[in-house]
Amino acid sequence: MVTIAMLTGFILILMGLYGALTNHNILRMIVSFSVANTGVNIVLVAVGYIHGRTAPILNEAVPAAEAAARIIDPVPQALVLTAIVIGLGITTLMLAYAYKLYEMKGSLDISKFSELKW
Amino acid sequence: MVNAIFIIVIGLGTAFLLGLLRETWRHTAYAVMLAALAVMAWIAVRWLLFFAVDGAAPVDILTAGTAPPFAINLRLGITEAVLMVLVIVCGLLSAVYMKESLLRLGRRAMSVLLVFIMALCGIIMTRDLFNLFVFFELVVIATAGLILLSENKQALTAGFKYLIISQMVSIFLLIGIIFTYHTTGTLNIDGMAGTSADMLKGAGSLAFFLMLMAVLIEAKPFPANGWALDIYESAHPAFSALFSAAMAGAAAVYAVDKLLLITGPEWLPAVTAIGLISFVAANLLALAQSSDRRTLGYSSVGQVGLILVVIGQRDILGDQYLYIAGGILLSHAIAKAGLYWISGLLSQRDLTAWSALRGHPLLIFAFISFIAMLSGLPPFPSFYAKWELFMALAVEGRLWIMGFILFGALLEASYLFRWFGYILKRETAEEHKDAQILSLAPHKLVVILTAVVVGWGLAYVWGEISVYSNLLYALPLLFALSFVLLDWLPAWIKNTVVIAGMVAYFVVTYPLYDPLQLIFAVIFLLGGAVIFLASYHAHGRRIGFYPSAMLMFAGLSMLIVAEDSFHFFAAWEFLTIGSYFLIIRGKHSEPHALSYLVFSLGGAFLILAGFVVAAQGVQLFNLESLSQVAAPLAPWVFLLLAIGFMTKTAVMGLHIWLPGAHAEAETDVSPMVSGILLKAGLFGIMILLMNMGKQQLYGVELTYIMLWIGALSAFLGNLMAAFQEDAKRLLAYSSIGQMGYALFGLALMNQLGWMMAMMFVINHYIYKSMLFLSVGGVAKRTGTREMYQMGGLIALMPLSFIAVLIGIIAVSGVPPLSGFGGRWIFYNAIMSSEYRLPMILIFLSGPIAFLYLFRLIHTIFLGQLKDEHRKLKEAPFWILLPQMIYVAALMVFALVPGLALRKVDAYLNPFFTDHGLNWEGLTITSDYGYWSPVSIMIVIAVIFGVLFAWLLFVNRKAQKVKQFNIVYSAERPFRPETTHFAWNFYAPYRKAMGFLMQPLVTRFWAAVTDLLHTLADLVRRFYTGNGQTYAIQLLAFVIIVYLFKMEF
Amino acid sequence: MQFEWIQIPYALLTLFIVINYGLIMNALVAKIGARVGRRHGIPIYQNYFDLIKNYGLRSSITHGVMFYLGPVFRLSGGVGLLLFVPTIYGSVMFSNFSFSGDLILALYFIFFGTLGMALGAAESGHPHAAMGISRGLSQVTMAELPLTLAVFSIALQYQTLSVTDIVAAQQGSILNWTLFTNPIAVAAAMLSFLGSVMRPPFDVVLAPQEIPIGPPTEYHSSYLALMQTNRVIYPTAKMVIFMSLFFGGATSWPIFFLKIFLIYMFAVFVGVVFPRFRVEQSIRWFLIWAVPLGILSVLLV
Repeated sequence: MVTIAMLTGFILILMGLYGALTNHNILRMIVSFSVANTGVNIVLVAVGYIHGRTAPILNEAVPAAEAAARIIDPVPQALVLTAIVIGLGITTLMLAYAYKLYEMKGSLDISKFSELKW
Repeated sequence: MVNAIFIIVIGLGTAFLLGLLRETWRHTAYAVMLAALAVMAWIAVRWLLFFAVDGAAPVDILTAGTAPPFAINLRLGITEAVLMVLVIVCGLLSAVYMKESLLRLGRRAMSVLLVFIMALCGIIMTRDLFNLFVFFELVVIATAGLILLSENKQALTAGFKYLIISQMVSIFLLIGIIFTYHTTGTLNIDGMAGTSADMLKGAGSLAFFLMLMAVLIEAKPFPANGWALDIYESAHPAFSALFSAAMAGAAAVYAVDKLLLITGPEWLPAVTAIGLISFVAANLLALAQSSDRRTLGYSSVGQVGLILVVIGQRDILGDQYLYIAGGILLSHAIAKAGLYWISGLLSQRDLTAWSALRGHPLLIFAFISFIAMLSGLPPFPSFYAKWELFMALAVEGRLWIMGFILFGALLEASYLFRWFGYILKRETAEEHKDAQILSLAPHKLVVILTAVVVGWGLAYVWGEISVYSNLLYALPLLFALSFVLLDWLPAWIKNTVVIAGMVAYFVVTYPLYDPLQLIFAVIFLLGGAVIFLASYHAHGRRIGFYPSAMLMFAGLSMLIVAEDSFHFFAAWEFLTIGSYFLIIRGKHSEPHALSYLVFSLGGAFLILAGFVVAAQGVQLFNLESLSQVAAPLAPWVFLLLAIGFMTKTAVMGLHIWLPGAHAEAETDVSPMVSGILLKAGLFGIMILLMNMGKQQLYGVELTYIMLWIGALSAFLGNLMAAFQEDAKRLLAYSSIGQMGYALFGLALMNQLGWMMAMMFVINHYIYKSMLFLSVGGVAKRTGTREMYQMGGLIALMPLSFIAVLIGIIAVSGVPPLSGFGGRWIFYNAIMSSEYRLPMILIFLSGPIAFLYLFRLIHTIFLGQLKDEHRKLKEAPFWILLPQMIYVAALMVFALVPGLALRKVDAYLNPFFTDHGLNWEGLTITSDYGYWSPVSIMIVIAVIFGVLFAWLLFVNRKAQKVKQFNIVYSAERPFRPETTHFAWNFYAPYRKAMGFLMQPLVTRFWAAVTDLLHTLADLVRRFYTGNGQTYAIQLLAFVIIVYLFKMEF
Repeated sequence: MQFEWIQIPYALLTLFIVINYGLIMNALVAKIGARVGRRHGIPIYQNYFDLIKNYGLRSSITHGVMFYLGPVFRLSGGVGLLLFVPTIYGSVMFSNFSFSGDLILALYFIFFGTLGMALGAAESGHPHAAMGISRGLSQVTMAELPLTLAVFSIALQYQTLSVTDIVAAQQGSILNWTLFTNPIAVAAAMLSFLGSVMRPPFDVVLAPQEIPIGPPTEYHSSYLALMQTNRVIYPTAKMVIFMSLFFGGATSWPIFFLKIFLIYMFAVFVGVVFPRFRVEQSIRWFLIWAVPLGILSVLLV
């Protein structure tokens, strides 16, 4: 299960990166990055789980003293949420930029926006 | 003590609070934001003082009431406190600076700024990887917002490029973090560092690599940094300041530093390499820039690269790590922010448009301070830091790193000082003439000046905590700096203060000198005071002259008494910079001053390298300890130091800066930089030879090579002088020759050779100062330096003529004047030398000196007077006065050379095996011959007097005839221009010896500079401006670094 | 050696002898030259007449202070050079003022007159004067080099810079002369000598026909007289150095006369055989023929 999720995740990341690096259209690039982000999130969820450890509930089974070695830190899994939120924020920001860029040049071709160079 | 988490709380809280305010209450919002920043700054400063003054231990700040790894923790130690103070104060100042833009865009922009600063503080304090990611993303979002504060429409494209990159970065970072977590089971940095190293092998290693790369890329290393340069170029300058100083220069590099804790030393070489490449490449590319902000961007990339190098070398830096990294980091931050802030005052983006700063001494002072900080010049923290860094590198034998850093630093200094040259010398471009380029808003000026004050404050602090004595306590330096404050006084008052100060300093320090130092002290201090007499002729305030001149003299006077290598080198830098500022004052000296600076700094870097290699970690490395440097290193140390010092004496090959620099300088500056400054190089060589003696490299005796270099300089310097049309250039080339003689004498490595060199030191000071003043005075009156345009001035300027006459007799070495003493000692010296071949060149250069000397006096003072010069007056009194003093000095020195030399002779005795001279009575004797200056003078004077009297008697009725009353090819000439034989005076000689005049050296250096510029121009095309290309480059960068890492 | 007042009349005596000798020798050489060219030539006393005539003339013309000083410099140079070198070896009477300095003093004092003369001539404003000086100085740079090298060579050989000591070392046998102990140095020096006596092929500085008489163009009457006096003293003074360094010196006046005459005749012989070189040609000639000899002598000693 973990393997499949991870594999899917990585395929999505690679697809996303490939798309972002080959498409000249800004919107397509943004979509590609979204795909890649989704892949990353899947990987996060998949990897955040550590085999042989238990849920982060401190009771008799898991005394607080041994907790660090025996539980799965909930933080990574929980932080997927944060990552998703941040990914959303950045995607929004990119879209807003795309809109402004289109206003500026009337084009969404990334190679048109290369006045700043060298 | 307020909990430091309030820095984040206040930042974030106020950002939200601003959202609640009414859109129209912009001033209120602005005030609230400033207040929030001020409170944050206050908290950070309190903590800083707590750590710095009380020496407290770092504290951990826990969140969610639980210890890590169950909750995120922040840490606050002195490093964090310093960086946060830097970030917040920089943010506060930028906020003040951006007042108009922020008010225009309203509270949202202000919130974003607060979030930006808060996030940077978060990056600095957090010990949790995921938290690090969050703060980085916040920075990205805030940056994307703040970029739009700019009035430059292109900022939009730059922002988008940044977003693309940050998407890639976040992918790397997240994958890296999660896999690292997977292998180590924790997200806490210290927790990871605690796990065994084995866990980070294989996949774990790759994960760490991705994480490190992601964070590294935020530090904008070459070549994955095109986006950053675009931001630097297009964003609001105050934001660029923040982006460079606070984001890249503080937060990102500290994040790298933290990450590296996890793996220990394994990744340090990679970081070093990346930093080093960034530093050199960015500074190289900056050479080809013409936009100011982009130049600063490149410089920023370079400086951050340098900080990365320091981070990469932290395994060998030990206790000094923070001192070094901090010195470079803070210098960079202040300087870069300051320069960006200044750029905000200007409406044109061309580097040459900065000439609008001319006429604003305060801004120029700020600019100088900033570029000095960037170039690592004393007394700024980066100077101490680089010194310590090189010390550590040398101990470990990591000399390649040192070499690359020095090369990059030289490139950096070249374009920074070239820029400074533009400010002082360039005319504003025609189309912008009318436009108001510079707008001075008071609040912006306050921000800039705050940076200057903080910079100097840090210079003081770094001096205080260094193991060496604080450079800012040095009396001569304080004297020089005080003229920055006194610059509003009229020139003559300052001049009086200067002369009094120098004489007084000499009197006070007189007992400190040994006989050798005394000679130099007399030349530097008293000799300098005499030249300053000529400065009375200048009117007005002469802004900038006295601080520069005094800086040079401060360096000189500190140089002679310096006991350890650190102070020697600091003094060396002071005199280099001071003299650069002096030289660039000449009307057309912009390119020459630059080449002077580049050569001098190049030389200085070699000296630096030589000293640290010699010291091998001994911090207070006494100059005398040079003699104890062990065998495999010693010749290399010798080589480095010797080349460094010889750059200053302008030996053949390294001489091309001298003619322009000396010739284009102002009338009273030329004698200072020629008569006085060149001696600093000789002094250095003396120190070197006295302590290290003869060294062999691959079986070649290095002093023997020096002997050849000296002879070659003497020969070619003289030869080239003979073909100059420009009087001051002629004198400048002659200096090359004279220094060649002196170098030759020193390299003979026997006592008489040294006596000869001392003779040249004294003589050259006297006659070259005198000649430069006379020629300067004449040039002032005639308005030209081209000799063939003068002629026949003897009757109009008799005193200048006498000075030149005495001067050339002395230079040529004809008895009875003092130049002969030098030649006589020379012959005695070579008698006991084991070498013979180099003498040939010296023999040849002697008579060649006659060529240029005769030409000098003939074409200016003799021959035919030009019509336009018929009403000229004698040179100004104040220029003549020192000349007459020199005439007297030459006479005295010719009669009793023992007055100056006797003690030196005795002092040098223990250093050499051969005998010195015997000074008993009036006759000076050596093992080979004898010489009685007084008898010579009397015999010649009597013969001359008798004949002269007789001729006067028989021709008592002679009258001076008119100018053209000569017998000339059966006709009577009437035009002085066609009768004055002057231009290309030695045409036949050029025919015979002209083949030696090929400007090979000039061509060589021109080719080197061309090559560097072409390379820079080619490589920078790599940054196509396409955001997608940047992303591909980033990917390629990551892959290449990985492959390299796997390889090694 | 210390100065005593009696040395002044002694020195004047040397000067007197040398002037007379120079006047006669110059005339004799001119006469020999003329006879070789199938001409009658000047009477042997001609130079006396010329000199006395020129001294007798009164000029009312000057071109300025330096013009005035030129001949003074020139003659001071000649007289000084003569007096700084001991004329007759072993004679206290004719050791002149040699206590003032050694060989190096003499070598450098050679330039004193040249420099002053050049300055004076230049003030006349005559372009030919300047041209002549330009040529002269150019030529002297290379012509002096072999001599300097030879001097260095023999100074190394005898390990002294004192003229008296060098002469002393050559006494005893003719085979002790530097001519035989260090022939290469002597050869170099003698080639250099050719360049400094203002005779063909190296007389382009004065270059009659081409630039009417070079530096002294504007000089006349008593100015010229001073320079003529120098013309008889200066070459002799210079040859005294050559004689002392290379040809065993002179222990008495007859030997002195003979040796000086022979040394001079060497230049005369070369001069009547060869045509005049241009400056760059003579520089190259010295560079190719004389300088290597000089270098060799320095290396081999």
